[in-house]
Amino acid sequence: MKSISARQSGIIVFLTILANKILVLPSAMYEKSKTDSIFALIAIFAFELLVLACFFALKKAYPEQNLKEILSKKMGCVAAKVIIFAFLIFFLFKTMLTYAVLYVYLKDLVYQDEFGFLALVCLFPVVNHAVVCGLRAMGRTFELFYYIVLVGVLFCLCIAFFTNISMPNFFVASPLEIFHSGFRHIFAFGDYLVLFLFIDKIKLKKGEEKKIFLFALVGIILVLAIFIIFYAKYQVTAFMHNNALADLLVFSVQFNAIGRLDIIAMLTIMTLGLFQLEIFQAAFCESFVQIFDKLSVKYGVIVFDILFLVIYLVLIKKYEIMLSFATDYLVYFAILTNIVLPVLIYVLSRRHKKETYDEKND
Amino acid sequence: MENNVEKYIENLKSQFHQNSDFASRLFVCQKGKIGFVFLKSMSDPILFSQCIYLPIQSFDGQITKQNLIDKILKNSGVETVQEEKVFAEILDGKVIVFSDFFEGFISVDITKYPTRTPSEPPTSPVIQGPREGFVEDFKTNITLLRRRIHSKDLVFKMMTVGSHTKTKVILSYIDGVADSGVIKELEEKIGKIKINGVVDSYYILSYLEKRPNSLFKQIGNSEKPDVVVSKMLEGKVAIIVDNSPIVLTVPFILMEDMQSSNDYYTNHHYSSVVRFIRMCGLLIAIVAPGFYLALQLFHYNILPLNFLITIADTTQGLPFTPFLEILFIFLLFQILYEVSLRLPSYLGLATSVVGALILGDTGVKAGLISPPGVIITALAKIALYTVPEQQSQITVLQIVFIILGGSLGVLGIVTGFVYVVNYLNTLDDYKTPYLAPYAPRVKEDLKDALLKSSITEKHSLPKSFPTGKRGAK
Repeated sequence: MKSISARQSGIIVFLTILANKILVLPSAMYEKSKTDSIFALIAIFAFELLVLACFFALKKAYPEQNLKEILSKKMGCVAAKVIIFAFLIFFLFKTMLTYAVLYVYLKDLVYQDEFGFLALVCLFPVVNHAVVCGLRAMGRTFELFYYIVLVGVLFCLCIAFFTNISMPNFFVASPLEIFHSGFRHIFAFGDYLVLFLFIDKIKLKKGEEKKIFLFALVGIILVLAIFIIFYAKYQVTAFMHNNALADLLVFSVQFNAIGRLDIIAMLTIMTLGLFQLEIFQAAFCESFVQIFDKLSVKYGVIVFDILFLVIYLVLIKKYEIMLSFATDYLVYFAILTNIVLPVLIYVLSRRHKKETYDEKND
Repeated sequence: MENNVEKYIENLKSQFHQNSDFASRLFVCQKGKIGFVFLKSMSDPILFSQCIYLPIQSFDGQITKQNLIDKILKNSGVETVQEEKVFAEILDGKVIVFSDFFEGFISVDITKYPTRTPSEPPTSPVIQGPREGFVEDFKTNITLLRRRIHSKDLVFKMMTVGSHTKTKVILSYIDGVADSGVIKELEEKIGKIKINGVVDSYYILSYLEKRPNSLFKQIGNSEKPDVVVSKMLEGKVAIIVDNSPIVLTVPFILMEDMQSSNDYYTNHHYSSVVRFIRMCGLLIAIVAPGFYLALQLFHYNILPLNFLITIADTTQGLPFTPFLEILFIFLLFQILYEVSLRLPSYLGLATSVVGALILGDTGVKAGLISPPGVIITALAKIALYTVPEQQSQITVLQIVFIILGGSLGVLGIVTGFVYVVNYLNTLDDYKTPYLAPYAPRVKEDLKDALLKSSITEKHSLPKSFPTGKRGAK
């Protein structure tokens, strides 16, 4: 089996933590809980780190099996397939949301006109190709680009930090508003559930969990820094700026010799967006293959493309609607996938541990 | 054979289609007749008369097969051969000696054919370091390697490929350092080659690649013995093909082409800087024209104002769109390049004058092309030669990125670049990741990647590809 290393898994976690959080989310959360959105963010990230710990517990208990095999053992094949189907739906909409966020950014700041078809033409073949190439090739690509992406994000933060900003005021929203803000945008989180789907493809040696945690922490710190600097820069007008990372540079200094530095944000966002799409579509296809075990990834890609085209172009048509769809309806579904399922899986791994312990004692 | 020496010579001659370079001699002694057969074009007639014919003529004792081998024919390459090998020996330039009074055949090596003396290869000149290059003769090439590796573990395994050419293909490696799995795989692949003829090592290369239709090269090559030896010391296998000065090496990683033999003969800090520049050159060569187009067509607001004004001034009134303009300049450069390759060297100066002055300068003055377009394309074309080994691949990628940048903007460049990297990451011939030691990251091998450490810090075999000692663990 073509597996990926702990480092590559960590980079996948890093990339997924940044997914959907560096463009629309800061301004969307600001609408509900102002600068105190940071606290909602911290709370969700803390929970997500626990989910990551659940993943390690599960990996320790079942080092070689895939999610379907683990769930089938404990709950039967049908229940296992239902849970994986939930993941399939989650990642289908997750990919679509990422497409939507990227589309809005490209339309607003890069191409300044209708871009829908061009975006599909550009992104679809590359994402499909990456998914067909497999997780190992993808992992290696992410590994190669990791520092480039990291430097790109840090560059945007530094440029914004050293232009006119003032520390935002915190503790302006009530706890209920903070909770409401976190709740409404929960669909933008839970991204590293992808690890559960690729559990059998991750090669994890003893002690390498720390590596993944480290990458997760780097991602979390970066997201928090983007939020804080974004709020510091735009203050009360933060809700108007829908492309946080890019907007950090929009009103920054123009260097006469090299022109505007937006190009750095542009390249970083495009690369990040592309990688996130690849990860989510790969997760969709992996769920598909685990449900329909006689079909290959290629069928998963075809099914995804058809579903995507039907839902986007026929049912929803406007990309922007996808964003409100995520905050209005997908929230309830995300609670199931982001909270209920990881907890359930953790309980299973604990039970397995207990059974193994009992067997040994017998 | 007995009483049939003339008949056998006639038979051989007819089998060689009465070739004009087929030579035969007959010697009659008391015991009977001795026949000699060889090819004049592959053997030395003077050596034949001095070392074979005259010694037999002047021998006082009884001529027997044993006396011929032990006492009369004193050349180094004297051996008895079976009848089925007679043709191969004659074709190799040896003389076949046979008689009606003894059984079997004697082969005497008097091979002589024109060969080039090792000289500095035009494709890889160096400022410091060895200047020898491989030649077309495989024996000389083997000597060049053997001279550098004084080890009993240096192995040369000969195989023959090509139903007509019967070309010699030699696998060379250091036993215990090269991976046995790679050697076995190569032997199997070469053994299975079914082809009429092998004219150059490139013919073999296509059979060794796992994806022969791929744009990207998957097998390393070099014309320099010192480079091949250093690769063999790292655990790679060299493939020498007779009549080709290019020696192939397996496994191959992209980073090899970023390295130059010069890097190892100069200060390692300087080598690191040069390698970094080479990497930048590679990126500029691939992306620059496409990126310029993307900025000009889609993202002009990012460009510095002065540069934007210059572009606006110079592109005003051009008959071509920016996309067609860049393609046109690119085509012009490519034509000039092809012409300069094929023209005799004394016409090279004329080509430069026509290319640079008449086509370039006059083209700009006539308002057909813009100076920024010429500069960007020229920069990309010059940058291409920082990594000359990847020249053909980069040229194709340049066209692809011009199309992507011109039609889709920066997003096209980014997606195209990620696509190419993703594809390269699927290439793992001979269990070797193409983009190692960066993807996947192999910490130990980073000492000799884009940044080069001192040679004293390099103690172990590389871990990016399978090697013997690691395989033995």
